[in-house]
Amino acid sequence: MRTRILAALLLLAMAAPGRSEEILVFAAASLTESLQEIGRSFERGTGNRVRFAFGASSDLARQIRAGAPADVFFSADTAHMDELERVGRIRREDRREFLGNSLVVIVPAGSSLRIREPRDLLALGRIVLADPEAVPAGVYAKKWLQAEGLWDGLRSRVVPTLDVRAALAAVETEAAPAGIVYKTDARMSKRVRMIYEAAGKADIVYSVARVSDSRKRAAADFVRLVESREAAGVFTRYGFVVRAAS
Amino acid sequence: MSASDLSILLLTLRVAAVSTLSILPFGIAAAWLLSRWKGRGKVSVETLLSLPLVLPPTAVGLVLLEMLTRSGPLGRLLDRAGVEILFTWKAVVLATAVMSFPLLVRPARAALEEVDPRLIGIGRSLGHGAFDVFTKVSLPLAWRGILAGTLLAFSRAFGEFGATILVAGNIPGRTQTLALAIFHRTQIGQDAAAFRLVALTVVVAFAAVWTTEVLQRRRSRFARSEP
Repeated sequence: MRTRILAALLLLAMAAPGRSEEILVFAAASLTESLQEIGRSFERGTGNRVRFAFGASSDLARQIRAGAPADVFFSADTAHMDELERVGRIRREDRREFLGNSLVVIVPAGSSLRIREPRDLLALGRIVLADPEAVPAGVYAKKWLQAEGLWDGLRSRVVPTLDVRAALAAVETEAAPAGIVYKTDARMSKRVRMIYEAAGKADIVYSVARVSDSRKRAAADFVRLVESREAAGVFTRYGFVVRAAS
Repeated sequence: MSASDLSILLLTLRVAAVSTLSILPFGIAAAWLLSRWKGRGKVSVETLLSLPLVLPPTAVGLVLLEMLTRSGPLGRLLDRAGVEILFTWKAVVLATAVMSFPLLVRPARAALEEVDPRLIGIGRSLGHGAFDVFTKVSLPLAWRGILAGTLLAFSRAFGEFGATILVAGNIPGRTQTLALAIFHRTQIGQDAAAFRLVALTVVVAFAAVWTTEVLQRRRSRFARSEP
């Protein structure tokens, strides 16, 4: 596996001679560890430097729209890519919908709370999720709860956070008795326990594109590496569902 | 202290220093004009200049953001000139400069107002121009108030959060200052790492205030012993 990554990087390095570049990658918070790992191999293999800013896709998209000097954008949804495409910050042909994920209900590791069905969530005093009005993880969670007919009952008990990792942290520190995050986030943490998986009930699609006015070759190279089979191995290891090339 | 803690500290110090230095000439000029100006509209101008003190920082940030965004009035010009400000370190400088400007002007103006007008008159009667009198009479007499204002402005720039996060985002290594990093680390549950930064800010704040206190005391003793 590792040798294959190195071989792929070697090819990239040979294809892109010249001086090394630094690229700025804006990415959904849920991709933090997986992209950092891929970024490290990219730096080792190409001599380029990758700087990440992780956060809520909605927030990052807003910043890119306002002119933030990002070279590549990873969104946890497609809606924010659509928005950036509409204003000309990314091009349709550069977009790839490359990953899937699912939602889980989590509680602190020491909690004895159990739920058999989504309805049991109504017994909770508070539930933390990424801001359901904007942040993809929260928007997906709201959609799921609406589909279950639970949103109206729960909405007053929802504590919105800035991004999905902040929701995870709130459950980890037992600031909230339960939360809804991505399965990949829950798997990262030993301090939370998954008690329900909303598998297949929300269509979660991650997309990536280079920002249209980035002139850096390394930006396109990085996207190519992310789409490679080698990167797919990394994402799978973190629990993402790698989508077939579109 | 980790390497990233140190680089966050250095970035914050650098940005706060650039911000404070860049408002210094304008702030002193504004303080001087306000101290001399007795005409109509003075109160309105003073109020306007003090607004960033009273407004929520996020409100100031939003106004700056809208002005500088690519479709905004200033943003379009800057874009054409190829100048990038938003979400770069320059945006941090701009946001902190605007937020700290009144903190420099108010004490500086008060100090300049206290300069005895007779001394200024004597200076003028000796044939010095207004600027010469300002640098040779007013400034040496009012320096303590100006220093206090400068320190206040620097402190505000050092810790500014609301306006900064709106116009500069929270990009590690580029725009993430101590205040933003503390917030971000808390958000992702790294409280211990956030506390390391809190400790750093306490050290820096203590050092800055202590140095100024000592400096002021020494200079005032020196001034008194002068014939």
